[in-house]
Amino acid sequence: MASSLRLYLACIKNTLEAAMCLQNFPCQEVERHNKPEVELKTSPELLLNPVLICRNEAEKCLIETSINSLRISLKVKQADELENILTKKFLRFLSMRAEAFQVLRRKPVQGYDISFLITNYHCEEMQKQKLIDFIVQFMEDIEKEISELKISVNTRGRLVATEFLKQFM
Amino acid sequence: MAGAAEFVEADNAEAIIARIETKSRTIESLLKQYKHVEALKTALEGSPPKTLDERCKSANWIVVHRALMAIKDIDGMLNALDVEYYDTLMKYLYRGLSTGDRPTCDQCLKIHEKLTERAGLGCILRCLTDTLNTV
Repeated sequence: MASSLRLYLACIKNTLEAAMCLQNFPCQEVERHNKPEVELKTSPELLLNPVLICRNEAEKCLIETSINSLRISLKVKQADELENILTKKFLRFLSMRAEAFQVLRRKPVQGYDISFLITNYHCEEMQKQKLIDFIVQFMEDIEKEISELKISVNTRGRLVATEFLKQFM
Repeated sequence: MAGAAEFVEADNAEAIIARIETKSRTIESLLKQYKHVEALKTALEGSPPKTLDERCKSANWIVVHRALMAIKDIDGMLNALDVEYYDTLMKYLYRGLSTGDRPTCDQCLKIHEKLTERAGLGCILRCLTDTLNTV
């Protein structure tokens, strides 16, 4: 179980190391514009094959690369309804503050929970290895965070229910 | 070049599928004799099929998948496999990872780690960039 998580993260790390080969590329259609090609997908020659890495039926990671940008979309494991709601709220909270993260995308790609958009400018300002470590660390921490949130919700619910029902005893 | 490929595939799709079926029979017999590495080598030979036809690619994938799932000793398998098949194997691994089926993904993740150690990041990059010979 833990080893399959380790293998999954190792696979994503290796793929990201290979895929993060970004360079500046001004827009071909419009003068003086510089757009992340992976978002627009106007010219097929600028895009690489997208790669989908699944750990099981519930968790997957889509990595799409282009000449000047890379998009990583994650789907996090959601075992039950409560985790579903917690994940959605938590990741929406993070996505709303995407400016602070710089590499986060405001809206996740359709079918996924959260997306990152890394452009060549990010690679110039920040170290490529550290970016990859950040993404892998993020994936590890998300699971822990969601389980902690779930435990705290259940604990609070139990406490509140106990207190409330005491008055009927 | 794309025009010539389409011309080729219309005639050869049936021929390729027939070839893949013979290959799958050979592989079944090799697997019964526990020659897993030979089976995988046979499966990878002649692929990716030089065609744009989805049926040929699916048929070939099924054959390779069968051989991959039977592999138990990954290091031994990679030792015995020729270097020229690393790229093709990596492409099939990514196809396996995209299926989302748990045992397939487990197996593909294990092989992916070992293969990356051997073949390096260049192998992964060649998979990503090769839009002509997709698997």
